[in-house]
Amino acid sequence: MVRDRAQAGQWLISHRVEKAKREYGMNGMNGTDGKKTGFLAPFRQFRFFRLFRHLSSSRARALLIVSACLFAGYFLTPVLLNEAAEGLIREDPLVKADVIVALGGDRLCNREKRAAELYHQGWADNVVVSGLRYASGFHTGEAARAYVVNLGVPAEKISMISETLNTRAEAKVLDGLMRERGWKSAIIVTSAFHSRRAMYTIEKTARDGVFHSSPVPTGYPEWEPYAWWSRRGDVFLTVRELVSWVNTLASGWQ
Amino acid sequence: MERKRRWARRALISLSLLLVVCVALFFALPTLLIAPANVAKSDVILHGSISPHSTADEYVVDLYRQGVARKIVCLSSQVSWELYPGDYARERLISLGVPAEDVVSLRLPVAPCAAVNLPRIVEFVKAHGWRSALLITHPEDSRYASIVARRFFEREGVSIAVSYAPEDRAALTRSWWRTHWKTQRMVGETMSITLDLFYAECR
Repeated sequence: MVRDRAQAGQWLISHRVEKAKREYGMNGMNGTDGKKTGFLAPFRQFRFFRLFRHLSSSRARALLIVSACLFAGYFLTPVLLNEAAEGLIREDPLVKADVIVALGGDRLCNREKRAAELYHQGWADNVVVSGLRYASGFHTGEAARAYVVNLGVPAEKISMISETLNTRAEAKVLDGLMRERGWKSAIIVTSAFHSRRAMYTIEKTARDGVFHSSPVPTGYPEWEPYAWWSRRGDVFLTVRELVSWVNTLASGWQ
Repeated sequence: MERKRRWARRALISLSLLLVVCVALFFALPTLLIAPANVAKSDVILHGSISPHSTADEYVVDLYRQGVARKIVCLSSQVSWELYPGDYARERLISLGVPAEDVVSLRLPVAPCAAVNLPRIVEFVKAHGWRSALLITHPEDSRYASIVARRFFEREGVSIAVSYAPEDRAALTRSWWRTHWKTQRMVGETMSITLDLFYAECR
């Protein structure tokens, strides 16, 4: 199983590093009891490397390096992929704010549900939902508002931002709304995979405000960072988010 | 030294070629993704092109008036709380003159890819005794949809044709690389097609 490979990779790294620390000291260069020293010294313990100790030709060395890279890559890739997905998430400690903002685009309304929970816990007195108007005449923001009302948030406490096709547009409209209402701080609720980019975009756009991220808890079926490559839906969301990060950092399509 | 330089040159040429191929593929996306519209007389129109930018409702009504099909099914998954775009598309088609008894909305579960819901749609079509269908989709989805849908429908003995609103195609392909939502849809479709190849449930 690919999932086990990730665990095996982590175990292999920690086990070997600990062993190397015991035998060669912390940095592997301060051996004083006759043991070999040098940057590569910790790796000499690997039996795999000892097999090649008599080989001197450059071709053999290249083979050794390529084999080692493939071997390490096999175990390290899942670890790195998990770390990359974890890096998309930003979660801040909750503090009392003026408004809770549920960003749009969640078909299952987990963001709105989380915003209503935070409202009931007393973290803010206002809620903002977001949405789009479709050509057929309906508005996803209206449905989101109805859902939040259904969850017990008074209708007069809910504001709606509209026609926000992407995070940057959403940040601009939110900035305008916060200035208009005199709100200084906000708790941003969005999907976990979207949270770091949303916060980056909003903080860059609305420089006067103070923002805290409270992402929707991760977990399949919505999105799960662990072993995300094993699920088609999670791969799409993760890769799309990474591509969107490139676009955001390059200040590309708006 | 000379050998290293030769390798560096080869690597540089390979990278440049790769970059050129990527750029060419990017700008060729409309040609690669959008198939020629194929309107065939059918028992039912499956209207699956419901989005903030689509004008397919009018196109579907035109097809209905031309007698291309006598029934319309609006297909959609939830986009917000208890919100199925197909329900609203149905209302709109009725307001545009389609008799209410000729148009229905089929609610589908949220799925990671189209292939997951296709068996449900095929079952629905078969249950009504329809033997041919015209699928109206988003332009960028047309080539792939025709390949995937054909596999599912024809296996069950239902013939299928795929089309899209010409206005949607014109709007989507006009300076598409400069507009966020258009690029997002082209790239998203490309990603979806690529990923579907790797996941059994989507093939």
